[in-house]
Amino acid sequence: MARISCSHVCKSYGPLEVVKDFNLEVEDHEFVVFLGPSGCGKSTILRMVAGLEDISGGTISIDGKVVNDLLPRERGVAMVFQNYALYPHMSVFANIAFGLKRMRVPREDIERRVHEVSAILGLEALLERKPAQLSGGQQQRVAIARAMIKTPAVFLFDEPLSNLDAKLRSHMRVEIARLHKRLKTTTIYVTHDQLEAMTLADRIVVLRAGLIEQVGTPAEIYGFPRSRFVADFVGSPRMNLLDVTVGEAPDNKWALSTGHETFLVERGRFDLHRGMRAVLGIRPANLKSTSPDIRLNGLSGIVDLVEYLGDGVLLTIALPGEPARQVTALVPAEAAPVAGTVVGFGTPPEAIHVFDAETGKSCRSAYLGAAEVGQSMRDAS
Amino acid sequence: MSSRGRGKWVAKSAVALAAAIAVIPALWTLLNAFKNRVDLVTPTPLLIFHPTLDNILYVLGRESVTAGLINSILVSGASVLIGMVLGLPAAYAVARYPIKRADDIQFFVLSLRFLPPVAVAIPLMVIWLDLGLYDSRVALIATYTLLTLSSIIWLAVPAFKRVPKEVEEAAKVDGYGPYAIFFLIALPVASRSLIGAVAFSFVLVWNEFLIALMLTTSDAKTLPIVASELTQLGRDVPWGILNASVILLSLPPLLFIGILSGFLNSVIKKKA
Repeated sequence: MARISCSHVCKSYGPLEVVKDFNLEVEDHEFVVFLGPSGCGKSTILRMVAGLEDISGGTISIDGKVVNDLLPRERGVAMVFQNYALYPHMSVFANIAFGLKRMRVPREDIERRVHEVSAILGLEALLERKPAQLSGGQQQRVAIARAMIKTPAVFLFDEPLSNLDAKLRSHMRVEIARLHKRLKTTTIYVTHDQLEAMTLADRIVVLRAGLIEQVGTPAEIYGFPRSRFVADFVGSPRMNLLDVTVGEAPDNKWALSTGHETFLVERGRFDLHRGMRAVLGIRPANLKSTSPDIRLNGLSGIVDLVEYLGDGVLLTIALPGEPARQVTALVPAEAAPVAGTVVGFGTPPEAIHVFDAETGKSCRSAYLGAAEVGQSMRDAS
Repeated sequence: MSSRGRGKWVAKSAVALAAAIAVIPALWTLLNAFKNRVDLVTPTPLLIFHPTLDNILYVLGRESVTAGLINSILVSGASVLIGMVLGLPAAYAVARYPIKRADDIQFFVLSLRFLPPVAVAIPLMVIWLDLGLYDSRVALIATYTLLTLSSIIWLAVPAFKRVPKEVEEAAKVDGYGPYAIFFLIALPVASRSLIGAVAFSFVLVWNEFLIALMLTTSDAKTLPIVASELTQLGRDVPWGILNASVILLSLPPLLFIGILSGFLNSVIKKKA
């Protein structure tokens, strides 16, 4: 078990800086997910922690020991790769045991531990097979077994599920969550899938172009995105974003106007000024069906597309005005209108996000505590 | 018959014809190796005859052939072995460790093979004469090692590049150092292609004629040189013996071609 501490970590390939001044403390037992689009540097940071990539600047320490110049084996880490990276010429048993052999673990111990680990992951029947004879899910479980058996201080996962099909992916996600609950090993998990991040993480680190956009619990990241980028990247279906101009309204409120719709929010919640250009965000689930002639804190338009999702239906609504604007709304399946209908949707003012149009940063006045996060989650549901 | 069916039929016959052109002379040589002189010189070619081992035994019994065979095996074997021991790690280094001039090194290695053998042989002849090693197995092994080294490096670089990098990284995280990764991971994973590369370079030096001709006169003569001399026995060509020597000469490379085709298959499959 170990803490991981990254301070001022940089990575550059020649003039190209892929990671810039990365600072993060990962607590003991914590499950941290690095989330970001491809090329944001998340895998590079993971590989620097693993010792597969040189660190251009700053320090990484594991369990209080600076590991910058240590070999992977001296760091007490185990890693699961995206394409499994099993040794193709070895049996499943030999694959799992390979790391222990290097540690000169006695033969009987190796046997016993391989059987223990393979029992946990349901691999006992496959021990004699070669990796090529296994399905993708089985191969990934072997890769996890290979990492687990060394009882590492730190688990590193590099997009471990992205080669699997959707059904297997959710299954393996549950297995990884269960495994972490059981082993409590400090874990860093890299993914570009926000659903994986939300479901697995104690804390999510959202990365963009080598910089941290936001660090927080899944609820914080979802409920209080610190930037337009985070708001757009996290949450499915995606958050609706509308360009607005800020105006003053009576009762100590800001009026956010798109030119067609007007939204009123408490002045205390957002740092805005009159005439400022901003981006307003509303999650599709926070749009509630109402009368089509809604004037305030709502919008009306024509249903353009109806996507049936099962329990719910995702509506794409064309809003009036030029250039063409559209929003999506998630509604219960039984209440779904047909395409072409004129509809109106309202939103509770608490569910409105506002971002600076220039910087993309959230305009929220102060960083909100966990209590408010919980409140907003209840509001949203 | 549809036009498509006819097209298929034409294509198949063309392939069969091409195969026959390649295979029939070889088969004929094989048959002739077992024929008596009478059966060989008869104006009507015979498919059914009393086979004899005389030709083969004669060829094997000749001292020059035995000496040539031993020379060939020693020279080819040693040069391939040295080429492997030096070439495989070199190829791995070029494939895995990004050094600035890796491409240049690879091209230089191949360019050794662009040179006409004569251009290589003449200076080498002078060198070996000066060193007093002319017409020795050592000289021939050293010379052939240049050939095997370049072909092994050239063929092994892509073979090592095809070993997934993550697999080696997994071994690194599992605690293994670069040498262990080379021997325990890279070599076995790439082995199929590497065996082919080695077999190919063996065939190359086994069949090599020109350099051997220029660097040997008696002691170190290889089998191709000895076989070619059998044709110089005067007007009265000993056809049976000639055929038998051709067959004996072809056997080792043929065995290797079995392995080689496996190698080519793996290359083609990987590309597809």
